[in-house]
Amino acid sequence: MKRRRANDSPKRRTTLTLPADSLTQAASIARAKKVTLSTVISEALANGLQAYAATQRSEEILSAYKKAFSGFSEEELQLLDGVVLDSPRKRR
Amino acid sequence: MVDPASGPFIFDTSVESWLARSQDSALKQWFQEYLSLHPVHVSAITVTERIRGYAVILRRSRKQRREAVEAARTAYLSHLGYVWPVDAAVAVVAAEIMALLPHPATSPRGTHKLIESRQERLARWRFDCIIAATALVAALALIHNNAADFESIRGAIERSPERFPKLGPLELIRCGSLVN
Repeated sequence: MKRRRANDSPKRRTTLTLPADSLTQAASIARAKKVTLSTVISEALANGLQAYAATQRSEEILSAYKKAFSGFSEEELQLLDGVVLDSPRKRR
Repeated sequence: MVDPASGPFIFDTSVESWLARSQDSALKQWFQEYLSLHPVHVSAITVTERIRGYAVILRRSRKQRREAVEAARTAYLSHLGYVWPVDAAVAVVAAEIMALLPHPATSPRGTHKLIESRQERLARWRFDCIIAATALVAALALIHNNAADFESIRGAIERSPERFPKLGPLELIRCGSLVN
């Protein structure tokens, strides 16, 4: 599925209070790239949100992994890794 | 150090659990960064080995523990990542590897009380051959924690390139080298 880019989605006007330094930096990028300040801000926001979602996803997976592999003895962890150990007597 | 951005990689069965339990902060950070960029790729064989493990533990567990084991199994299944099937190409390549290396490269594992039977060792060896074949067909590097076995598979593939046309080399990454 094609990922929707920030520029493709419908626009909505809003008012934000942003750090002056960031705004100056964004304005400088906009001038260099010959695009509007809104374009630079929306791209930066989209990238930031994408990174945030990726971090959330990785934390969720790590948490599931911890749950999946905790509370087991060493022998049981070997079983979960595909190594089946058994008592030699049992096998006779 | 292995750049997480150079992935995705295929994870051998023991690797996910090893990474999940690691206390090494650099390793944890590496895994977190990897997960923010790519899903964990595994062979369907890894899912088989893992779920068999949960099933055996479940069967051996007392009633009061079963719920916790079932919850761990569900947590594992809820985040499987990308599972590579054992399709015709993987089956053919795995068969070639098994024919070149019919016997396991290393002895059965064991502790002071318990031992892996020869039958189990052979089954695990064949599973390793299928996992290596999956990585070869997918053209992805395989992260492993089992150097002796996978290095011998890589060596056999390199010695008989005519059996693996348009494939290879098998690229291996040892767990220990992920952040070093």
